[in-house]
Amino acid sequence: MSDTDEAYEAVERLDYLDRQESDRPGFDRRAFLRRTALTGVAAGSVSTILAACGSSASSGGGSTSVFGSHPSYKFVFVNHVTTNPFFTPTQYGIADACKLLGCSYQWTGSENSDVNQMVNALNSAVTAKADGIAVSLIDLHAFNAPVEKALAAGMPVVAYNADAPTNKRLSYIGQDLKLAGEKMGERIVSAVGSGEVGLFIATPGSANLQPRIEGVEKAVRSSGKPITTHSVATGAAVAGEQSTIEAFYQSHKSAKGLYSVDGGSTESLAKVMQKLGLRGKVHAGGFDLTEQTIKLLGEGFIDFTIDQQPYLQGFLPTLQLFLYKVSNSQTGPFEANTGLKFVTKETVEPYVAKSRYEGTTTAAAVVK
Amino acid sequence: MASVAQDPAARDPGGSRGSAQGRRALPGWRELGARLLALREGSIIVIALVTAIYFSVNTSTFLTGDNFKTLLPYFAPFAILAAGEVFVMILGEIDLSIAGLYLFAPILFYKMNTSVGMSLVPAVIVALLVCMVVGAINGVFVSVVGVNSFVATLGMLFTLEGLSLIISKGTPVATPGGQPPLGTFGKVFGGGTYSELIWAVAIVVILQVVLTFSRWGLYTVAIGSNKLGAAEAGVRVNVVMIRNYMLCSLTAGLVGVFEAVRSATVQPNPAGPNEILFLAVAAAVIGGTLLTGGSGTVVGALIGALFLGVLKDGLILQGVQANYLLFYTGLAVIVAMTANVFVGRARRGTITRG
Repeated sequence: MSDTDEAYEAVERLDYLDRQESDRPGFDRRAFLRRTALTGVAAGSVSTILAACGSSASSGGGSTSVFGSHPSYKFVFVNHVTTNPFFTPTQYGIADACKLLGCSYQWTGSENSDVNQMVNALNSAVTAKADGIAVSLIDLHAFNAPVEKALAAGMPVVAYNADAPTNKRLSYIGQDLKLAGEKMGERIVSAVGSGEVGLFIATPGSANLQPRIEGVEKAVRSSGKPITTHSVATGAAVAGEQSTIEAFYQSHKSAKGLYSVDGGSTESLAKVMQKLGLRGKVHAGGFDLTEQTIKLLGEGFIDFTIDQQPYLQGFLPTLQLFLYKVSNSQTGPFEANTGLKFVTKETVEPYVAKSRYEGTTTAAAVVK
Repeated sequence: MASVAQDPAARDPGGSRGSAQGRRALPGWRELGARLLALREGSIIVIALVTAIYFSVNTSTFLTGDNFKTLLPYFAPFAILAAGEVFVMILGEIDLSIAGLYLFAPILFYKMNTSVGMSLVPAVIVALLVCMVVGAINGVFVSVVGVNSFVATLGMLFTLEGLSLIISKGTPVATPGGQPPLGTFGKVFGGGTYSELIWAVAIVVILQVVLTFSRWGLYTVAIGSNKLGAAEAGVRVNVVMIRNYMLCSLTAGLVGVFEAVRSATVQPNPAGPNEILFLAVAAAVIGGTLLTGGSGTVVGALIGALFLGVLKDGLILQGVQANYLLFYTGLAVIVAMTANVFVGRARRGTITRG
């Protein structure tokens, strides 16, 4: 590689310069030693840091008695918002399935829905010869070629959480997003009837959220009711969401309903409802169940939230990929709609208990 | 040393080492160039190499042909972005709007192609010309009007991101010419395996030559070191600044088109570009360009981008989980840069004494 040559050259130049220095009367031996030592320290300490990065998530598992002796398969999950708390239960789902089946996994991708970064991570997974890949297809086009490349290399690929119809993935495990939006829209129509409605979306355009808002708008339009929807981008940062929603309400005091189509905005919306004392005055609802959303839903600050069972979106892909591997592609992938479950004040009670299934605790226990 | 003389904090004003003098003392230019390499980019080359060796030893997949291809998009786009940004940073300014242009250019390209009906290459050219106009506006605000560059380009960043969302209606679309099977256009403009690498190397080489050997480069460094002095000496400060902003915008727009073609999708999501902006500026700084201006290197920016790319690709290949990835990346950058500073300081110590 040419970089190697350049570096070699650099080191040679350094030696050359040092030699020059030492020929000079004012050569400072201490400075020379210090420089050499520092280069060594630099190299050493980077290695030490990196040495701490060994891969994790390996496990034993007692699955061999069921499926026969199999290697510890490694599955890579490529995600669009890797550090988002929504996917905490998803990661628990993967971890639990891996423990059950004797596999290991890697959770990687982008932190902020950057498709190019996700494609890079997907390519890295292919390069690293993963035994299977699960990817959230938040874009309709970007993953077609990389997924086909992975499939051609003999790696099973399934989609979870978000899907692209033209993609060659073996199966999709997640919510039917547009349908979920339409169902929400129908709820809005029956609750609000007429007037202004605010729709909050963290990142407009991302394929895991946009279909929901389109579904809502479609349902509202086709109802023929005099409802005006305003879609508002709340941004990916949680801190900004609340103030955006608050600002919207302050400037649309006549709004009859406020609805969010993503988990973060839903939590923020519930908080705004509480802060401004809008319970009973304005209709509100959203998606997903964060701890705060569960609490505020229980207190009636929002009317409903739609559950899509994030735990299953980790557990089922792992199971599918595993079965694909042990059966040598005979079985495994199947389409799974993980949810269109409206949770209301009346039905939220079971969710209050902390569990791995909602990502509210790390402890494994039967929920009571 | 050229780098020392370009550094405002140089402690050796008597030495005949400024790049201007270097140009005059032509017989010594080869030696000077060699010293430049050894000095300014030297430590980051060593650190990037150590990182690459570490991953080669610790993973079975890093040192493979497959991974070489996988690694390319981890650094090539950032190298191009950083190359343009270096020209603004040497002035002692910053251009945050590159993230906006990165987002805006492919959307404009898409609109020119589908709505206006231009063919692919003219559509790209129009998109890039608009980027340069944006750059000129940035430059005018910063140099003529005198708005702080951080604020001016931040405003431009938000404006462009908002405009991108408005024009695209927030919906991702298929990149024209980026759908498989790729034609010549797609292969040249980012879709081919080595396309971005070739562009990156070509752009870096050209811009480094411009920076080191041309009047333009000399004026850029002069303005960054001492704006008033440069003006007094007859440098048309405003013209140079506007030109550099235009260059920076051009590279940003170009990368935006490349990445849209590579991923086959034009994304209106501003969150990704905002992170890319940080990485591009980081690559430039890691490579040895001063945030305070007066000194910078395009080749260094390439190596800085390479270091960041190797680090990320290597960590992912090693199987590091996402939550740890940021942590390790952060630590590695801090350690590497601390080392970089000390190595640089020690070197400068030996050299200025000569």
